[in-house]
Amino acid sequence: MGLDVLANLLYQFADNMAFLLLAALGLMIILGVIDVINLAHGEFIMLGAYLTALSYNWGHLPLPACAVVSMVGVGLFGLVLERTLIRRFYQDKLGALVATWGVSLILSQGILIVFGPSMAAVPFPQWTLTVGASSFDGYRLMLFGVAVGAVAVLWWLLYHTRIGVQTRAAMQNAEMAACLGIRIRRIYLLTFAAGSALAGLTGALYAPTTTIVPLMGTGFVDVAFITVVVGGGANPIVGALTSAAVLSVISAPLASISGTFIGRIGLLVAALVVIRFLPQGFSGYVRDLQRRRMGAAAAP
Amino acid sequence: MTERDGRPQQSERLLRTVALTKSFGGIRAIDRLDLGVARGELRCLIGPNGAGKSTLFSLIAGIHRADAGRIFFKGEDITRLPPFRRVLRGICLKFQTTRVYRDLSISQNLLVALALRGPERRDGDTAGRLAWALATFGLDRDGDRPARELPHSHQQWLEICLALATDPDLLLLDEPTAGMTPDETALTADFVRRLNGQGTTILVVEHDMTFVRQIARAVTVLHYGRVIAEGPLAAIEANKDVRRIYLGEQ
Amino acid sequence: MKRRWRALRDALNGPQDLGRSPGFWGVFIAATIGLLLYPASGSSFGLSSLVSFLLYVPMALGLGLLWGYGGILSFGQSAFFGIAGYIYGLVAGNLTGTPAGTIVALVAAIAAAALAASIFGYFLFYGQVSGWIIPLLCLVLTLILATFMGQTAGYQWRVGQVLLGGYNGMTNIPSLRAGAIEFGGTSTALYYLVVVVTLLLYLGLRVFVNSRYGHVLVAVRDDPERTRMLGHNVDFIQVQVFALAAALAGLSGVLYASWGNYMNPSTMDLLAATLPVIWTAVGGRRSLLAVVLSTVALRALADSLAVSGSQYAFLVMGALLLATMLFFPGGIIVSVARAWRRPSRTRPGAREAVEPKGKGEVA
Repeated sequence: MGLDVLANLLYQFADNMAFLLLAALGLMIILGVIDVINLAHGEFIMLGAYLTALSYNWGHLPLPACAVVSMVGVGLFGLVLERTLIRRFYQDKLGALVATWGVSLILSQGILIVFGPSMAAVPFPQWTLTVGASSFDGYRLMLFGVAVGAVAVLWWLLYHTRIGVQTRAAMQNAEMAACLGIRIRRIYLLTFAAGSALAGLTGALYAPTTTIVPLMGTGFVDVAFITVVVGGGANPIVGALTSAAVLSVISAPLASISGTFIGRIGLLVAALVVIRFLPQGFSGYVRDLQRRRMGAAAAP
Repeated sequence: MTERDGRPQQSERLLRTVALTKSFGGIRAIDRLDLGVARGELRCLIGPNGAGKSTLFSLIAGIHRADAGRIFFKGEDITRLPPFRRVLRGICLKFQTTRVYRDLSISQNLLVALALRGPERRDGDTAGRLAWALATFGLDRDGDRPARELPHSHQQWLEICLALATDPDLLLLDEPTAGMTPDETALTADFVRRLNGQGTTILVVEHDMTFVRQIARAVTVLHYGRVIAEGPLAAIEANKDVRRIYLGEQ
Repeated sequence: MKRRWRALRDALNGPQDLGRSPGFWGVFIAATIGLLLYPASGSSFGLSSLVSFLLYVPMALGLGLLWGYGGILSFGQSAFFGIAGYIYGLVAGNLTGTPAGTIVALVAAIAAAALAASIFGYFLFYGQVSGWIIPLLCLVLTLILATFMGQTAGYQWRVGQVLLGGYNGMTNIPSLRAGAIEFGGTSTALYYLVVVVTLLLYLGLRVFVNSRYGHVLVAVRDDPERTRMLGHNVDFIQVQVFALAAALAGLSGVLYASWGNYMNPSTMDLLAATLPVIWTAVGGRRSLLAVVLSTVALRALADSLAVSGSQYAFLVMGALLLATMLFFPGGIIVSVARAWRRPSRTRPGAREAVEPKGKGEVA
C-alpha cells in the first residue's frame, strides 16, 4: 500500500517536472543569454506539434524522426526570425515582448486559416508500467528522461565546450566579451535557434498526449512563464532545475487532490510569493549568495 | 554648535554612523566606518578614488543596504529604512551623475520634487529658498524648456534645486562641480556657503580641492572605506598621513 | 468664475496629451455633438455597434495610463474585465428583485477588480522585480482565469441562483438599470451612457495626467529610482495606478455585460488579452487621445474583418502590432501628430529614443 502511494507521488512529480522543464527550457536559455522573452514560445511549441503531426500522418515517418523534423523545422524558423526581427529589439527588451506577441498572433491565426481548427492526431504510444496496483505511462516517464537529458546536454554544452564558455562570458558581460573577440551576434543567433528547437521538440513530444489545435500553445506558456519567473535568468540551468523541482512539489499534490486548474492557480500564487521575496528568482538568489560569500571572505 | 578638534559633540549630531560596513563582491568598500555630523555643519568628504565616498552617500541615502553597522539620523535608527522614507525624514542626495528627468521641462521636474509638499507642508521658507536657488542658478526663466536641453552645469544646478525642493535637513552633494568651469564652481561654492548659512547641514564629496577650499571648514578624509583623518582644512592639509596617501610623500 | 475656467483650461491643456489648440477643441466639440445627435438618424444596429466599440475605451484608457504614463506593461487587463463582468453577473443575477440591484452589482464588480489588482500588484511591485516579469505574470493570470472559468460548467458551479456556465458562459445577465431606465444592448439609453462615460473619463484623465500626481507618475515611468530619492513611495504609487487601470477595465467589463447580457471565458483568453495592448500600442500609448481614437478605429476594423471569420481579424491585428513595433514604435497616431507639428524635423523611418529604465516600459 505504501509503495503504491509513493510510486504515485513520484510518478506525478516526474510527470509535472518533465512538463515544466520541457515547456520552459527553450525560453529559459534565450532569457539567460539574450535577456529577451519570446512571447511566441507557445506558438513555436504548437508548430513543433503540427510538424510532427504532418510528418507522421502524411510523411509516414516514425515518431523519433518526426521529433527531429520538428526540432530542425522550428529551429530554422527561429533562426530566420532572429535575423529578421528579434535582433532589432536587443536594446529594447520589452519591445521584443510586444513584437513577439504580434508574431504569436500571426502564427496561431495563420495556422488556423491554413489548416483549420484541428489537425489529425498522433497516436499515444501505450507503454504501460505496472507497480503494485497502479499502472503508469511509460511514455510520460520517458519524457522525464528526455527532459533531464536535455538539461544535461545543455550543461555539457555550457561548461565543456568552447562555445559554452563564450556564451557564459556573453551572459556575464556582453560588451566585455565582444571586446575579447567573441562574436556575440552569432551566439545570440545560435541561442535563439536552440531555444526554438527545444520548443519544437516539446511540441513533438507532447503531440501524442493532446489534441493538436492552433491555440494549444496557451496550455504550455502559462506554466512555462511561471517556471521562468521563479527560476530567474541569472543561470538557466540552476534556474530551470530548481524552479521546476520546487513547482512540481507544490503542484503535484494540489493537482491530484483538486484538479489541474487548482494546481495551476497554486503555481501562480507560488510564483507571486517567490518574486516578492526573491525578485531575481532562484538563480538570482543563488548568485547573490555566492557574491555575498565572496564579500565575507574578503574581510581584511 | 561647539567643536573641539573639529569633532562635533554627541548631543548635537544630526547624522551618526556606527561601524558601518559594506562590501561589493570581493571588495570591501566601507570598513567599520564611524562618522558624526553636527546640525548646521558644512563638511567635505575627500579621499582618493575608490575610498568609498560615494558608497557612503548611497548607504546614508538608502540606495544600498549596509552589511553591518548602523546609521542614526536625528537620533533615530534609519539603517533599515527604505530610501523614500529617509527623504521624508529630511535626507536628500544629489547624485554624482546628473539624473534629472530629461524629457520633462524644468517646471515639470520641480513639480515632481515639490509634489510631496502639500499646501500645508509648504511653508514660506521652503518656497522662498527654492525661488532664491533657482534665481541664483538662472533656472527661474524658461520653465518649459526640456531638461535635456540644459547644459551640463545647469543640469547639475537643477539637481541641487530638486534636492532642495524636498526641504532637507541634511543635504548630500556628490561631486556637485564635476564638469564645471572655474566660474561655475565659484558660483556653486558661494551658493553652498550661503545655503549652509541659512541652516541646512551639508555634506559634500569632492575631488576638486579648489572647491573644497572655497567652502570647507571641516573635512573628513576617507581611505579604503575608513576615516583616516578629520578636522579643519588647514590641519588636514598638513597631516602627514593624508599627504602620504595623496602625494606619496615619505 | 473666470479664474476657475482658466484653471480648468490649463489643466486640460497641459503638456501630457496631444491636441491643445483651439482648432483641436473645435473638432472635439463637433465630434461630441455628432455623437450625441447620432441616435436621431442612426439605426439601432448602428447604435449597438458604436456602443460595442466605445465600451472598450475605459479599458484601453486604463492601459494607456498604466503603460504610457506609468511605464508598467500589463498583458492581463482582460483578467480584470472578466472578473468585473462575472461579479456583476453574479451579484445582479442574485439581486433581481432589488430595485438598485444592478447599481450595487456595478460597484461590487469594479471594487472586486480593483481589489484583485491591488493584491496582485502588491506582490509585483513591492518586490521591485525586473521589467519583463510584470507583463508575463499578468498574462498568466488572465490565461489561468480563462481556463478556470472555462471548466465551470455544471450545476455545482454556481453562486446563489446564478450559474457560472463554464465554456458557454453566463447568460441572462440583467442590464444596468436606474429607476425606470434600462441600459440594454440596443437601447438609446445605453448609447448615451457609454458616450457620456467615455467623454467624462477622457476629460477627467486628461486633467489627471496634467496634475501633480500625473507628473509624479511620469517621473516613476522615466526613472523610478530617482523618484524614490525625491521622497515618493514608488511601489505604492504603482499599485495604485495598477488598481485604477483594473477598475477601468472592470468598468468596460460591466458595460459589456450590460450590453450583451452575457459573459464568457473567452473575454479573458489569449486573443482577448492581446486586444488592449494592440489598441494602445498601435495608436500610441503616451497619448490618451491616440488611445481613444485607435481603440474605436481598430474595433471597427476588427468587426468588419470578422465577417469573414475572426481569425482574419486577429491575423491583421497581429500584423498591425508587429508593423507598429518595427516602424512606429511610439504609435501611429502619435508619430503622425509629431510629424505634423514639426514637419522639418521628421526623418523617414526615424525611431523614437530608447528608454530602458522603468518597470515594463517600452520605447
